[in-house]
Amino acid sequence: MHKKTLVLGLGNPILTDDGVGVLVAENVRTRLPKDTHIDVTEVSVGGLTLMETMIGYDRVILIDAFQHLEENSPGVVHRMSLEDLRSISPTQHSVSPHDASLVTAMETGQRMGLPLPDEVTIFAIEVENVMDFSDQPTPAVAAVIPEVTEAVLAELN
Amino acid sequence: MNRITIDPITRLEGHGKIEIFLNEEGDVENTYLQIPELRGFEQFCVGRPAEEMPRITNRICGVCPEAHHMAGTKALDALFHVEPSSAVKKVREMFYNAFYVTDHTTHFYALGGPDFVLGPDAPAAERNILGVVHKVGVEIGKEVIDTRMRNHHVIKVVGGRGVHPVAGMPGGWSKAITEEERDEFVEICKKNVDFALFSLQVFDDIVLANQDYVDLILADTFTHRTYYMGTVDENNLINFYDGMIRVVDPEGAEFVKYEAKDYAEHITERVEPWSYLKFPYLKNVGWNGFTDGKESGVYCATPLSRLNASDGMATPKAQEAYEKFYETLGSKKVNGRYQPVHQRLATHWARLVELLYAAERMQELVNDPEITDPDMRMIVTNTPDEGVGCVEAPRGTLTHHYSTDENGILTKVNLIVGTTNNNAPITMSVKKAAKTLITKGTVVSEGLLNRIEMAFRNYDPCMSCATHSLPGQMPLEVVIRDVEGNEVERLSQFTN
Repeated sequence: MHKKTLVLGLGNPILTDDGVGVLVAENVRTRLPKDTHIDVTEVSVGGLTLMETMIGYDRVILIDAFQHLEENSPGVVHRMSLEDLRSISPTQHSVSPHDASLVTAMETGQRMGLPLPDEVTIFAIEVENVMDFSDQPTPAVAAVIPEVTEAVLAELN
Repeated sequence: MNRITIDPITRLEGHGKIEIFLNEEGDVENTYLQIPELRGFEQFCVGRPAEEMPRITNRICGVCPEAHHMAGTKALDALFHVEPSSAVKKVREMFYNAFYVTDHTTHFYALGGPDFVLGPDAPAAERNILGVVHKVGVEIGKEVIDTRMRNHHVIKVVGGRGVHPVAGMPGGWSKAITEEERDEFVEICKKNVDFALFSLQVFDDIVLANQDYVDLILADTFTHRTYYMGTVDENNLINFYDGMIRVVDPEGAEFVKYEAKDYAEHITERVEPWSYLKFPYLKNVGWNGFTDGKESGVYCATPLSRLNASDGMATPKAQEAYEKFYETLGSKKVNGRYQPVHQRLATHWARLVELLYAAERMQELVNDPEITDPDMRMIVTNTPDEGVGCVEAPRGTLTHHYSTDENGILTKVNLIVGTTNNNAPITMSVKKAAKTLITKGTVVSEGLLNRIEMAFRNYDPCMSCATHSLPGQMPLEVVIRDVEGNEVERLSQFTN
């Protein structure tokens, strides 16, 4: 029995580097066999809606843009757990200013008894520009898309 | 006072920031709410086919993609000069009310509610939906999540895609509703109405039954007398999807009622050097600073504003709730309509009245025989030129305005998003709360800062529209500076 798995690209695909997670997810999709049991999707939301997107899956891999508040090195990739999200700065889309952080949303969902994944892996890509509208990421961020794609595929295998 | 220099927010992109400046006596001299702005949206759109706009604009914001999708779709109706059929309008409006049910529910239980359910002095770490669930029980939490999920299901089925809908097209809607789907929606609508009534009961039991909270709502600290804007139908009753834009003055008399396409004749924007966001105001009243009253063109566009700008609700149970709202808050009827309620914290209650309306209206539409009309398309034959589309977004009147060449390629784009309408009122509310709550010798506690933040939170400002999802949690970094401009306090609030 396969684990029900979701690859979820987070971000706004028209906000320069913000959409890097969406681009990685699209790449992953094209690399998977046609009869794959793995779902791949993308959303530009956080918080409760993000938690609800994960209902019914055993395992979820999130890919999101990430900005340190202090030092930032565009193109650096971090592999994180939900526990890491709790203890450090959240990634761009794991929170929603209008409802809850992903960590709070997951805890709320668990309390409700919702079937949420046991395994959540987050690939957080440090970004440079999330303030200008464009469908092209900056060079340093674009350069790591293949590497993150491979990392996600390796995780799936 | 010393010269005020506020650095542009660079590393804190997306964060809101309030700067509070004290005078020599230690009282509040001034406050500044800063919200950074995303750049280059118009340039991004120009040169693209206009029909992409409902799918582009629903990416601007992770909070109300449905509102942008709908305003964009209506702008396309106008741009291509095509009038949707009555069935198309009903399907769109039903879909749109499903969105309202989810959005208003979420705000009340996850964002606004915690201040009342847990209290304004509760630790920030508990003032979130999880804290509410702890306090009121897991069953209510389940109801909240169920309500969101069943209506997100409707949005996905009718909108063609979850979260970021795709069904809107000029004059039409690409997804017809089947009889089977309708049967399922009928059940969903029943639950929605029950849930909205239950939520109003929760408000009664937890907020209205507590004199401290009633006093807080009625406090002058959170009161402003401004103009109010909302969309009304032909009977001056609230409608979220379509109608005329009505503005009432602070005494409740109608100031103007206009078609959305004429917005530029009535609304103009002011630029302040310290803010990235512009401040819309009523052109025909004029700008008179960040002030209350009839002489000031400041207007407000929120759930409370919509109730104030209308003569009532178009559905029976919501109308009862509307009357109770005004009667309880001591509003008198003048010329057959209630005078406005100016206490901004009452917005939370107004939101629940609207939740009930959205649930009832959705139910009416689902039971309408036309809702399963299979013919959802109009063939577009006219040459496009210019079009304005407008809906009531949960956070205020949302306007999309597109111009194209004769091939439908965009040449100009202007959006006035819900929260932008409220930029001046939010600024005023924050300033007044800070002035009232911080005086010489005040010890600035987290609870006190939360009260200042409450002044801002009741508007539920959607910074994602003008800005973007935040890297941190619910924003506000509050910085207090003395007369020399030196920082004396800096507190970050993490409310969720």
